[in-house]
Parts: sequence; structure tokens; C-alpha cells
Amino acid sequence: MSIELEEIAEFLKQHHPFDLLPDDEINTLPKRLTARYFRAGTKVLSPEQQCLHLYIIRTGGTETRDPDGLLLARLSEGECFGVRAMFRNGKAANNITTLEDSLCYLLPEKDFHDLAGKYPQFNYFFAQMGGERLRSGMQLIESRDDDQLKLMSVRVADLIARNLVSIDKSATILDAGKLMSKERVSCLLITEGDAEVVGIMTDRDLRNRVVAQGRSYDDPVTEIMTANPISIHPDEYAFDALLTMTRHNVRHLPVMKDGKAVGVITTNNLLARQSLSAVYMAGRIGKLTDPADMAKVIKQVPELLSHLIEAGATSQNAGHIVTTLSDAATVRLLQLAEERLGPPPVPYVWMAGGSQGRQEQTALSDQDNCLIIDDAYDPEQHGEWFRALADFVCDGLNTVGYVYCPGDMMAKTDQWRQPVRVWQQYFNKWIEQPEPKSLMLCSVWFDLRPIHGTKSLFDNLHRLIVSKARDNRIFQAYMVGNALSHHVPLGFFKNFVMIRGGEHDSTLDLKHNGVVPIVDLARIHALANGVDAVNTFERLHAVKSLPSISKQGASDLLDAFEFISITRLKHQVRQIRRGDAPDNFLHPESLSAFERSHLKDAFSVIKNLQNALENAFGKSGT
Amino acid sequence: MGLRQKIVDSRLYRDFIQRKATGPLRAYYDIPPADPHRPVGETEFIALDLETTGLDPKRDEIVSLGWVIIRQLGVDFSSCEHILVRPTQELSESSVVVHRIFDSDVANAPDIKTALEHLLPQMAGRVLISHHAPIELGFLGQACKQCFGAPLQIPTVDTLVLALRDLHRSGQPMKSGALKLDSLRRSHNLPPFRAHNALSDAIAASGLFLAQIAKRDPKGELELNRILR
Repeated sequence: MSIELEEIAEFLKQHHPFDLLPDDEINTLPKRLTARYFRAGTKVLSPEQQCLHLYIIRTGGTETRDPDGLLLARLSEGECFGVRAMFRNGKAANNITTLEDSLCYLLPEKDFHDLAGKYPQFNYFFAQMGGERLRSGMQLIESRDDDQLKLMSVRVADLIARNLVSIDKSATILDAGKLMSKERVSCLLITEGDAEVVGIMTDRDLRNRVVAQGRSYDDPVTEIMTANPISIHPDEYAFDALLTMTRHNVRHLPVMKDGKAVGVITTNNLLARQSLSAVYMAGRIGKLTDPADMAKVIKQVPELLSHLIEAGATSQNAGHIVTTLSDAATVRLLQLAEERLGPPPVPYVWMAGGSQGRQEQTALSDQDNCLIIDDAYDPEQHGEWFRALADFVCDGLNTVGYVYCPGDMMAKTDQWRQPVRVWQQYFNKWIEQPEPKSLMLCSVWFDLRPIHGTKSLFDNLHRLIVSKARDNRIFQAYMVGNALSHHVPLGFFKNFVMIRGGEHDSTLDLKHNGVVPIVDLARIHALANGVDAVNTFERLHAVKSLPSISKQGASDLLDAFEFISITRLKHQVRQIRRGDAPDNFLHPESLSAFERSHLKDAFSVIKNLQNALENAFGKSGT
Repeated sequence: MGLRQKIVDSRLYRDFIQRKATGPLRAYYDIPPADPHRPVGETEFIALDLETTGLDPKRDEIVSLGWVIIRQLGVDFSSCEHILVRPTQELSESSVVVHRIFDSDVANAPDIKTALEHLLPQMAGRVLISHHAPIELGFLGQACKQCFGAPLQIPTVDTLVLALRDLHRSGQPMKSGALKLDSLRRSHNLPPFRAHNALSDAIAASGLFLAQIAKRDPKGELELNRILR
């Protein structure tokens, strides 16, 4: 093969899903292609136009709009369009316009279908796109066919397949069995009075607690039901439901809203949607007893992340799923510690801070955590138990793969293992007498989320933090000063200002110059408005309708956050694929011109909103 | 365009040399040339590059040829060809340094006559695309005269000339190296290419050509004679 054609083959090998094809096949592809060139602004395809090729973008970028002009996707180098046409007898479905001068390789329809017929994985990728899957740089309007993602986007309410079947608690086992048989259900909710759920009974209970124990069918159902079952809210995600079931080893989950049952979901509802690696990973962690074994599971997180990102996950999806696994490891270690140390002498709650608290973890995360203990805590009497607990869990997390926090912000540190009253003093001091050093702590401790234990211990403290922070302008001004210290890497003429010299020469630090400034902005707007969410997306959504930030500003920031986060994740996935350790340092040349301009736009958004914040709060602070 | 060029490109001259041509060159002339009044989008092109032992068509020889066909403004990679040619003299050291083609590589390669027998049918009825066409036209013309008794006439688009026109029109000062194939490609957002051999250069020129046409011809109405040399 000529070297020029080899270059085309190399290009294809670097892009999904062509990378799934065997080399022998890829090497024959260039000869089947035609190259075409389109100036920026050229309408390449319009609905119902004949389209007998799959278009692969070699350089440049395009925009996909539906017949009504709604933006569906922005594509850049290595991505394909004309996919719908391949499944519609060569008739284009949407408008495709070039955003830049673009060179495309055209693969004939017949060759496309040959490959799709020969290689199921290739077919699978496009079959999804041909259906509904279309992606855009920022506005993802997709129905995700990937199971994992489906569970992230489907709410529990959508999974309830049929009307609720329930029986009054006065019924006998025989009545219950008859009703289950008649209604063909595998479980019954046991109610009292007006639909108040007091228990759940399943076909497994009939087997284990009635037949196997030779119990009389005339006994009341209350004898064999599981009282006060674990339930889930209809607004939760299907993913959370499956996770809850795996964690508690139950197959039926009542769906409760405002204290009333609205339905039941079963593992079948969910598992019909196939196996889920993340959930199984979490499930496995829950069964292991040795942190070294958990480490083997957590080691697969980078792979999971690549899979998610390639399947089109948003950064929020990915963050949620990845964080779920560190939550699972934390909970498991706490259980093991309690088994070893005995029950806690006084109630406590284990809290996650930082990115785990915000549910925004990526492939590389260290641990930020603390312990909030009931005020009945007596250091003399209970100190040793909690120290041992914290050491066990923090050391365990370090073994599992969540390395020690370089700033010692861990429950292992005495300062961060304290009763509620001490935490109240901490927060009072940070908010009422802010100083530069304490502001550093804020980025971790103002993003707390309870993981395990008596969560109510945190509730009061949380209320205190939220209301104090909302009312204290000086504190807010300090936070603003701190937030503005994270510079956005854009020069005067909107050029990237890159790291100079050293190991990361000519790179952009996507974390400290991109993600962190937005997280900071979201935190300030949330705290200043008494919003109690900690997740950055949730914070920005919550403040959207409030006066402190313009609606457009909040939306822009959400888009910018998604774009920068996903760019960072994709960068890390590329490193993982190459076998390198993931980091946050991106060479802008590794992006297409189109992605670069998007990234610049995203940074400009941050800069504008930093300026707006500075004006709103004055330049006081640090 | 000089008077001599006008004559050499004229219909009359073509009729004259056609009668002297033999073999595959005769067959080439039997097919009418591309119509200069047809739209570019309906014209077929052959982007071609060759490597030689030096710059003088009278003294130096062709050592390799690469080409690709363009139809409906699409570069058809299935038509790619790359052939080595066995020169009559030993390869000079300077030429080996440039092309990395060694005597051993071309020992079993076809001679220029065989190569032209293969190429000429591909050129018939099509328009030549080349980056700096005088080289290709000079060497092919000389070879045709030697092998088949008559010079070569073919309507030609020179991507270098088109680039020069663009540059003059833009009124920008010319930077050194601006007319090199690679920098021209970059300015049109085309992927970087590695200049390896005649075919890679031919393909590179074909991409540049598409970009130059896209710029001139947004509606697809441009006539061929507007871009000919």
C-alpha cells in the first residue's frame, strides 16, 4: 500500500469505531474511499437528499440540524455523518452544514453495509446512531442505548410497569397467595388503613417462610412479611434503584412518594436491561473483605470510564458512576471496621468532601473525608474507637487506590474527626472570621456529603452552614477573592496561555484552570443563595432562576463545565488507552481546530462570569 | 500566457501532432480532450506527480510516477497508482538522496515506454492536475516524443498557479515557502501529509485542488477554462 494510503488507514485506526476493525480490513479501506472538500458554511446534506456514502470527517467540523432547524450534533475530526441515510435507503434525514473548511472521506453505502454485516461491533456502533443517537459538543440530545447510560437517564417512575398490587395486613397467607396467583405478581405490598405500607411479601417468602417452615396458611401475612422494607423515590434514577437492590440483596423495591406506595420495581425490570459492570463492581466490593482485593476491582475504573465516555456519557453521568464506586468502597470498609471494632459507642456519620462529595470523581482521585460524631462523644472513652475506625478506613482507601489527601483532609487526622459541636465551631469561625488559610479548606468542607452512619448528625450542621454562609457577605467576598485567584488560561487575544517549562510544558491544566474555577463559581452562587446542593451541575441548575447570576450566565456555565469536563475525561481516556497514567495536562494541538475554538469559548464564559462576580461582590477579599 | 504556449495548446497543433503520434499516444489523441466550457464538477481530472533524476527533461529521466483520478470533485482512491520506472542510465547519487529510489529498486521495473502505455489511457479525455506543471509536462512530453513520435498535449490545471492567483488577489505579501504544497494545504485546513513519493504528492495536490475549487465555485457553475493554465 502506498504511504499516503497508509496514512489514511492510520487515521481510521485512531477513530472509533474503525479501531474495532482488524488491521487487514482497515488496510483495504482507503482504496474504497473518495475524498471531498467542503468550504465552511456549505450545506453538505439536506433532508431527503440522496446520500449514498458514509461521510468521515478528516479535518474540519460540521453541524447536524433536524428538518426544523434544531441543533442535534456538532461533529469534528474522526466522526461520521450520513449515518441515518445508511439506514434509510440512501436518503439523508437531517441538514448537515460545515462549520469550517472540511475534508471528508466518503465510504460507499455498499461497503458500509458489508462492514456492518461482517463486524457486529462496528454495526452496533452505527445502529445506535442510526436510531436516535446523535451527539453534539455540548447539547446532548440523545437517547442512550448503552445500558449503563439508560439506567442513568431513566427514572424509577418510568420503570413501574403495572398498577400496585397490595393487600391489607389483616389478610391470611392463603389470601395473599391467591391474590399473587390471580394478579400474576411476584410480590405484594402489605398495607394498613389508607395505603400506608407496613411490609412487603415476595414469592421467596412463601417458599422460605411458609412451605419450608410448614407454617399454616391461615396465619396472618404479617407473620411472614418483611416489615418496613427499604424503598425508593420515583424521581431517583434506575441506576440508584439497582444499586440499592444489590447493596441490600433484595429483588423487589417498593416505590414510595410522600409516604405512599406508587408501585414496585423488581430486578427483572432492570436486569432485562442487561448486566451493568459498574453496579456489579459496586456489588463485588460489597462482598470483599480485603482492601487489596477491592483494589483489583477499583483498578478497572479507568477502563469503565473509557467505556462510558466512548458510549457518549456526559461528564455528570461518568462522575456519578465513578463516585458510586468510591462510595461503595468507603461503605464496605466502614462495615468491616465495625465488624472488627464492635458497634460504635456513639452515633457517627462518615462524610465525603471534595470531588467525592460533589460526585464528580474522575479516573484519578485522592480521598477527602471526615467524621462527624454525636455530641455524646467523650474523647477519653471513645477516642480510641474512632481513631481505629478512621485509620482502618483511610488506610484501606489508600490501599484500594484512593491515595491519602496531600493536605491531610481525612478522618485520620485528629482535627477532622470531631463531634458536631466542634464542627459547628469550625464552620462558625470559617464563615465569620474568614482568612486565606481557611478558604483553602472551604473547597473541601463546603462540599460535604454523608456516606454512611447516622445522617441526621449532618443535617443540623448543614442547615447551619447554609444559612450562615448565605447571610455573611464578608465571607462571600473572601470566597470570591479566592475563586478569582484561579486564572483562566486565555490571553488578551483569546489565545491559550499555556504552562511554560517543566514536565508539563505547553499544556493547559484543565483541572485547575478549567474545572476548579467553575466549581468555585457554582459554590459561591449556591452558598450566597442558601442552596444546599453540592454537585456543581445541581448547584448551577438551582441558582439559574435566582438573581445572583443571569439565567444565560448559568446556562453558559453549565455548558462550559460539561465541555471542559468531557474534554478532560476524553484526554484521560486517551491516556488510559495508550497505557499512560491519566493526568489533567492537555496539549491543545491534540484537539481539532473546532474543539480548540470550543474550548476557548468555554474559557471565555468562565472569565466573563468571574468578572461579573467580581463586580457584584467588589474586589474585597484576598 | 505566451504566444508559443497558445500555439502548443491550440486545437490546430493537436490535430498536427496527432497525425505524427504512434501506438498508445495515437489512441490517446483519438479520444477528444476535455471540453473547456463544461463545468468543473462534470470534468474528470488526473492528479499526477513524477520523480526524476534531475530537472532537465532533455538529460534527466523519470524514475517514478504516481496518480489518482478525480471525478465529480471527489478524489477516487481506488484509482491510485504508483509505478517505478527503470531509467536507461545508472541513478546518480544526488537523485538517490532525494527520492530514496535505488538502482536495485528499479532493476526489475518497467521502462518508460511500458509505463506510458499504462498511463496514457488514464490521461485520455481528462485534465492534468499538477503542482508546478512545467516539470510534469516537460518530462512526459519528452518521453512521448522519444517513445511515440509526438509531444503530449493535455489541458492542465497547475495548483501552484491557482495558489499564486489567490495570493495576488488577496493582496497579502508573500511569505517564503507560502507556495509549497504543504503550507498551501495547511492554509486550506487540509491534513498534513508526508512527502514520500510521487503518489503521495499527487494525492496531496488533488486535495489542494479540491480546496481551491471549493473556494472559487460555491455554486458548481465554474467552467473548466477559468482554471486552466
